[in-house]
Amino acid sequence: MIKALEYFLEIIHGAWVTTRHFVVNMWFHTLNLLGIKTRRKGAVTIQYPEEKKEIAYRHRSLHRLLKREDGRPRCVVCMLCATTCPSECIYIEAAEDPEDDEFQKYPAKFIIDLSRCCFCGFCVEACPEDALRMDTQKIELAEYSRLDLLYDLEKLLQ
Amino acid sequence: MIETLIVLAKIILALAWFLTLTLYLTWLERKESAVIQDRIGANRASILGLRVIGLFQPFADAIKMIFKEDFTPPFSKKILHNLAPFTSFFFVAVTIAVIPFGDKIEIGGRLINLQIIDTHVGLLLILALLSLGIYGILLSGWSSNNRYTIIGGLRGAAQMISYEIALGLSLVGLILVYPSLRLSEIVAYQGQHFWGWLPKWGIFLQPLGFLLFLFAALAETKRVPFDLPEGESEIIGFFTEYSGLKWGMFMMTDFMEVVIISCLITTLFFGGWQVPWLWADGFHFPWGTVWVLPRAVVVILQLLAFNLKVFFFCWFQILVRWTYPRFRYDQLMNFGWKLLIPLCFVNIMGTAIILSL
Amino acid sequence: MVKITIDGRQVEVKEGMTILQAAESIGIEIPHLCFHPAFPPEGSCRLCLVEIEGRPKLELACSTIVQEGMTISTQSETVRQARRSVLEFLLAEHPLDCPICDKAGNCQLQDYYQEYGLFDSQFKENKERKSKKVALGKNLILDRERCILCTRCVRFLKEITRTGELGVFQRGLRSEIDYFPGQPVDNNYSGNLAELCPVGAITDKDFRFQTRSWFLQSGPSICPHCSRACSIYIDYHVGFPRVELDKYVYRIRARENPEINDYWICDFGRYNYAYLEKKRATKVLVRENGQAQEGDWDSQIERLVKKIKEFYLKKKTNRIGLVLHSALTNEELYLAKKIFQEDLPEVNIFLIDPPEGEGDNWLLTPSRTPNLKGLELIGLQPQKFPPEKPLTELEILIIFAYLPHGEDQYNQLRSLLEKSHFSVLFTAHQTALMNQVDVVFPTTLLAEKEGSVVNVEEKLQKFPAALTPPGTARSEREILLTLGRGLGINFSFYRQLKTPAAVFDQLSQDISYFRGSK
Repeated sequence: MIKALEYFLEIIHGAWVTTRHFVVNMWFHTLNLLGIKTRRKGAVTIQYPEEKKEIAYRHRSLHRLLKREDGRPRCVVCMLCATTCPSECIYIEAAEDPEDDEFQKYPAKFIIDLSRCCFCGFCVEACPEDALRMDTQKIELAEYSRLDLLYDLEKLLQ
Repeated sequence: MIETLIVLAKIILALAWFLTLTLYLTWLERKESAVIQDRIGANRASILGLRVIGLFQPFADAIKMIFKEDFTPPFSKKILHNLAPFTSFFFVAVTIAVIPFGDKIEIGGRLINLQIIDTHVGLLLILALLSLGIYGILLSGWSSNNRYTIIGGLRGAAQMISYEIALGLSLVGLILVYPSLRLSEIVAYQGQHFWGWLPKWGIFLQPLGFLLFLFAALAETKRVPFDLPEGESEIIGFFTEYSGLKWGMFMMTDFMEVVIISCLITTLFFGGWQVPWLWADGFHFPWGTVWVLPRAVVVILQLLAFNLKVFFFCWFQILVRWTYPRFRYDQLMNFGWKLLIPLCFVNIMGTAIILSL
Repeated sequence: MVKITIDGRQVEVKEGMTILQAAESIGIEIPHLCFHPAFPPEGSCRLCLVEIEGRPKLELACSTIVQEGMTISTQSETVRQARRSVLEFLLAEHPLDCPICDKAGNCQLQDYYQEYGLFDSQFKENKERKSKKVALGKNLILDRERCILCTRCVRFLKEITRTGELGVFQRGLRSEIDYFPGQPVDNNYSGNLAELCPVGAITDKDFRFQTRSWFLQSGPSICPHCSRACSIYIDYHVGFPRVELDKYVYRIRARENPEINDYWICDFGRYNYAYLEKKRATKVLVRENGQAQEGDWDSQIERLVKKIKEFYLKKKTNRIGLVLHSALTNEELYLAKKIFQEDLPEVNIFLIDPPEGEGDNWLLTPSRTPNLKGLELIGLQPQKFPPEKPLTELEILIIFAYLPHGEDQYNQLRSLLEKSHFSVLFTAHQTALMNQVDVVFPTTLLAEKEGSVVNVEEKLQKFPAALTPPGTARSEREILLTLGRGLGINFSFYRQLKTPAAVFDQLSQDISYFRGSK
C-alpha cells in the first residue's frame, strides 16, 4: 500500500518535473521572443546549418597529408596506415625517388576512400613519420557520387 | 428552413473550430514536447522564408501526407481497409455535436443555442459514440492482412472495452448528482455556487469521479501511457499497414479524441462555459460587489472561458503524454479492472449514500 | 646418440649436432642471424648465446657441438640479457628504417628486436651515415647502413655458387660488404642473396618498393621454366577493395626442398613471372565465318566430342591430330595417354616443346619444360615433328599450346592447320594461332593447378594450386576428363577420377615408377 503511494507520489513528481521545465523554458522563450536578452536560453538546440558547434581540438575529421619543408609529402610509403586500416580504405603506390638518398621512395598514388573510411584514426596513430593527420576540422564531406569520395594525393595535400 | 440553415452554420462552425484545434494540436505537441525537453521543436516550415515559430508545420505535414503513396497491402480487405480510418474519424468527429460551447444567445429575436443538438441523452450519446471508435481499430487491424496489425487491433479493442466500463461507471456518480443527462443542463447546474462563493463544478462534487474519469479517458485516447494498441516505435500496432492520408486520419483521430476528452472534462467537471461568479448580467462577487456587464461581453467571456479550459486540458494531456512511460499490458489490465472499476463502485456507493442521507 | 637437457627437457639427439640444430629439432627456437643451415657456422652475429651448465661463459649455440650430459638453458635471465646486449650492439649502427625497408615483415632482426628489445639505445652518438643505395649487380641493391655483417652473402657466393664476387672490405667499424672491382654479382643465382640476407641490406631491384611483404600471400608451387622443377613459393597480392592493382604476382621465392633445390632457385625462374598474368586467354572463342565470338565451355566441348566420336565410329581415328607439350602434369599426360593412345587408336600425337635454351651446370637445365621425364615415364609415344613423311589431311587437330617462352615453335604448325578441317586450341596465353583455329579454350598454367611432375633427375614432386585461374580458364585435367567421359568409350573409368589425387592413384597403379610414391 505504501509502495503504491510512493508510486503515486512519483507520478506527481514526474509531472512536476516536466511542468517545471515547460514553465521555465517558456519563460525564457517568451523573453527572447520579446527581444529581451537573457543569459540562459530556453533550449540547448544548435540550429545546425546556420550555427555550427565548435569542433573539439582532438576531433577526428578529414585526413590531410603533411609536407616536408621542401614541399614534398612527408609520407615514405611504409603502408602502415593501409595495413592497420580496419575498413581497407587506404591505397598507396610507391615510386622511387632517385635523388632522395634518405627515404628513397615517395607516394605516387595515395588514395583514401572516404566512402569506406570509418574515421577510427588508426592510420594517424600508425604513421611513423607524422605524415597523416585528421585535424582539418572538415566534417561535411557528403558528395553526390561515390567516386568523388576517393581522395587522392592532390586533395589530401591541400 | 431558417432553422436548418442555423443548424448547418453551427455544424460548420463547430467542425471548423474542432479541426483547426486538432491541426494545431499536432504543432502544439511538437512544440510542447520540445520545450519540456529543452529543445526548440519544429521551426523550419516556412512560406517565402517566413517561419513564424513553425506555425506552418501542420500544413507541411498535411501536404506531405496527401502526396505520399496510398498503399493498400495485397490480399487485404480493400473496402474495409479504406473504410476503417473513416469510421474512426467519423465517430469522434460526430461527438462534437453535443458539446455546449456557450449559453443561449439572442440574435434577431431568435434564441440560438451554442450547441449543435441539445439532446436529453447527451451524456449517453457521447459514451456510445466513443465506444463505436473501437470499430475503426478492429477493422483496420483485421483488414490489413498482417498478423501484427490484427494483434494490435485486438489489443486496442481489449483496452478500449476495459476502460469503457471505467469511463461509464466514473460518470454514474455524476449522473446521480446532476439533475439531467442533457449537457446544457449539466453546465447550467454548475453555474450555481456552494455557500455563495465556491462554484458547484463537477470536480468539487465528484473529486474521485474526476480522477477516475481522467484515467479512463486518457486510456480511451490511446496515447502514451496507454498507447499499447499502436506503440509506433516498437510494438507495432493496428495501423502499421496504412500510409499517406489514411494514416493521417488515424493520427487526426488521436488528436481529435484529445480535444473531445478535454471538452468532456471541461463540460462535466469544470463548469463548461461557466465563469465563477459571472451571472447573466455580470459578475456577482461573493463579497457583495456587482459588476454589471453588457450581454455580448458576458457571452464572449463565457466562450473564452470554455476555450481556455479546453486548451488547458489539451496542454495537460500532452504533458502527460511526454512525461510517463508506457504501461506493460498486464499492468494496464490490472489497473483498469482491479483498481479503476472497484474505485468506480466505491465512488457510486459513496455518492449514493451521501445523497440518500 | 647423445643425451642432453635443453630448458629442462631431456632429449636424445644425434652425435655431432650443434646445440642450435638440437634445439630446433625439438621445437625450441634460438635466435640467430648469421647461421644458415646451408653453410658451416660462422659465429659472427653472437646472437645465439646459450648458457651451458659448468661453463664459465655463455657459448654460441650455432657452433658448439652437443656433448653427453650437457645441460643447456636458452631462456635464462643471463641469456636474455646477453641477447639484449648483442642486439643493442647490432642496432648501434642499424638505422631501423623499417618503414621504408622492403625486408620489413620478414626480417629476423626486426623480429628479435620486437621480442627482446624495444629498448632505447644507450648510445648517445649519432648513427654513422653510409651509402644506402649501392648496386651490387643487375638485380641487387645494397644498403650499407642496414648491413650487420653476418656475411651470409659472402659465404653463399664462396661456398654455394663458388663465384666469390663479394667480400668484406676494410676493418673494424669501417667493415663493409662490396664486390671485387669489376666483378659485380651478375651470376644466375644473385636473386638468392636478397632472400638470404637476414636484414634488409641486400634487396631485390625487381621487388623494390613494390608493396609490403605482409600484404602478400604465398602459394607453394613448382617452377615450370626448366626440367629441374624447383620448389617455389609464388607471392601474390589479393588486392584492395575498390582500387584495382595492376599486378597480381609480386615475386617468386625459393621453397626449401633438400632433394632438388635446397634453399635456392636461379634468377631465370625467379624473375620470369610476368607470364602468369600478362596476355592471358580468359574466354572461349569460337570462329564463325571469320569472326571470333565468345562461346561457352560446355557446348563447345560437346561439339569437339561429337566430332571425335564421329571419326571413332567411322574407325578413322588416324585422321585426328593431337599436339602436346611437356609442361603438363603427370595426371594430365596420363589422361591424354588414356584417351588418345588407348581409347582412340592411331591418333597422331606430336610433341612440341619450347626450344632448348642455355643451361648452367647447377640448377638450370637446357630444356624449358618441367615434365619431360614424366612424359617418358608415362609412356606417351609422340611422333616426331615435323613428321618424316607428309601427312594426309587431318580432320581434327587438337593443340595444347605452351607459350611462356614465345611461340616460334608453333610456326611449323601453320601448314598443318591449313590442312585440317576442324581445329581447337587449348592455350593459357593469347597467341597468333588463335586466328587460325576454330575454337580457343583458355587453360591454366602449372601455378594454377594441382598435380605432380617428374623432374630431370626423376624426382617426383606434388604441388597444390597456388593461384586462382583467370576468367573462365579450366585446367587441362578437367578438360581431358570431360573429353574422356563425353566420348563414352570407357565412361566408368573417367567417372571415378574426380580429383587430381584420384588420377594419381590410378596412375600409380598403372605405372611402376609412380608406385609407392604417395
